[in-house]
Amino acid sequence: MHGTFRPSHGLQALLLLAAVAAPLIVGPYWVHVGALAWYYALLAASWALLAGYAGQFSFAHVAFAAFGGYGSALLTLRLGLPLALSIPLAVILAMVFGALMGALVLRLSGPYLALFTLAIAEIFRLMLVAEENVTRGSLGLEVPGLFPGGSDVPYYYLGLGLVVLALLAMNALLSTRVGFFLRAIREDEHAAQASGVNTTLHKIIVFVTTAGIAALAGTYYGHFVGILSPNMVIIPEMGLVIAMAVIGGIESLPGAVAGAVIVYALSEILREYGEWRFVLLGLALIVVQRFAQNGLFPVVERYLDRRVAPPGSAPVEIENARKMEGDYAKPS
Amino acid sequence: MPNPPEAPYFAARTLHKHFGGIIAVEEFSAELRRGEIVGLIGPNGSGKTTTINLIAGALRPDKGSIMLDGRDIVGMPAYAFARAGVGRTFQVPRLFKRMTVIENLIVPALTDTRTSRRQAEARAREILAFVRFEHLADAYARTLSGGQQKLLELGRSLMLRPNLLLLDEPFAGVHPRLLEQIVEHIRTLSAQGYTIVLVDHNLDAVRSVVRRTLVMARGRKIADGPSEQVLQDPAVIHAYTGTRKAMEDHA
Repeated sequence: MHGTFRPSHGLQALLLLAAVAAPLIVGPYWVHVGALAWYYALLAASWALLAGYAGQFSFAHVAFAAFGGYGSALLTLRLGLPLALSIPLAVILAMVFGALMGALVLRLSGPYLALFTLAIAEIFRLMLVAEENVTRGSLGLEVPGLFPGGSDVPYYYLGLGLVVLALLAMNALLSTRVGFFLRAIREDEHAAQASGVNTTLHKIIVFVTTAGIAALAGTYYGHFVGILSPNMVIIPEMGLVIAMAVIGGIESLPGAVAGAVIVYALSEILREYGEWRFVLLGLALIVVQRFAQNGLFPVVERYLDRRVAPPGSAPVEIENARKMEGDYAKPS
Repeated sequence: MPNPPEAPYFAARTLHKHFGGIIAVEEFSAELRRGEIVGLIGPNGSGKTTTINLIAGALRPDKGSIMLDGRDIVGMPAYAFARAGVGRTFQVPRLFKRMTVIENLIVPALTDTRTSRRQAEARAREILAFVRFEHLADAYARTLSGGQQKLLELGRSLMLRPNLLLLDEPFAGVHPRLLEQIVEHIRTLSAQGYTIVLVDHNLDAVRSVVRRTLVMARGRKIADGPSEQVLQDPAVIHAYTGTRKAMEDHA
């Protein structure tokens, strides 16, 4: 239904407008929170493409963010490259690394893929800790800023711009035949192969694309926060990104962005409750999974678009066929 | 160079596949003429599906060759088999369940980069008409009944206009009325010149559409010839009754 205006498109425009206007209304603290939320939004949306659209449940996504962040910082600090060169170079290196990982995990799926990528992320984190001479280990690596002055507003708009660009790029990818093939691979890899889909190539494409966006998020984070530590690769960080995508909508890129902003804002609002806020977030995740498996954003979108006929409705002929077939052929 | 008319259109030669210590397929050879339809039958565990998986490129044989229209396609990835003209269905339908019926059909067509979205959709509409699913185009595949899923999978396997069509148990678990419809579709496809290998346990249904039958037992081809003759073959009767006896003994 390309080109057809739906009320949910109006909602997306409204949310974008609110995001643009927010720094004019809220104080510096919430601008800072918002700028950090964009980092998570980039990660959650690209992870939604990887896991929700393509069915590749990778736990190494935050490792790619760290790869980008550390890569850009080290290229600047150790090799003296200008930021205009170190940032794209770090992103390209992460994409190469993403292609290698995509090739390595070709035959893995489900829990095996999750465990393999978890191991890769953990190895990378330990390397960051161990290589103190290069990365300063747990002490943290100081990273130069992008903008002069102490205001977070430029970072906020840079982050927002990156989120919009990433969404546009991922949507452009999904609207091509690649998007079709990624969904087919998610549904059934063997059937996709039997249909002529080069699953190897498309898995690598999605790993490269999402690794690039995660690395870009990492460079943004590093230059904004000013310090990088191996803690950005810890498992709870990956869990947070997954929770954001799942709560917002794992099969909806704007949903994952909304999920990231809501979850991150909530974790700030509930800060006084300490670790208990993550317990509450965990409960929220369970409730969403129980009542809205595809996340909250698609529920809102469906409600707004309820007057537009949804695709996929089961006509009466299916019911009739089911009744006729009875026990002969139950859908698997 | 075009294939001479007397040469087989499809030829599997001495295919062999083992899984660990278990020999699933041993020395399997068969030839098909263009437009021929054959049945592939055998008791459970005789190696039929493994053979289909080898011919479809889903499994790589330990040795042997697969020639299609004069070209050796063995060793290529499964997607390349599909693009080379090997279409298939699965024992249990493997659909893209959270995609609509028409999207399921469009996926194979789009793998040909020369095919536009509009052309893919036009081809999908032809197939929808063939399986009489025009009214179901926008239904999600997961909502279809079991028999409808089998028909959709048959339709999807036709999207790339396969040179060789492998149908793995198309009649299994299908209501008699839908079975008639599937039999009719297979007859139509055969009449249109498709080269088809039909695997099923429903011997009456298989016999009603094929003249030639191949029989497998314990990974080997034990008979190949006119269906009536093959089904009277003592080795075939022994393979079936032996299995039944073994199953009864086991029970």
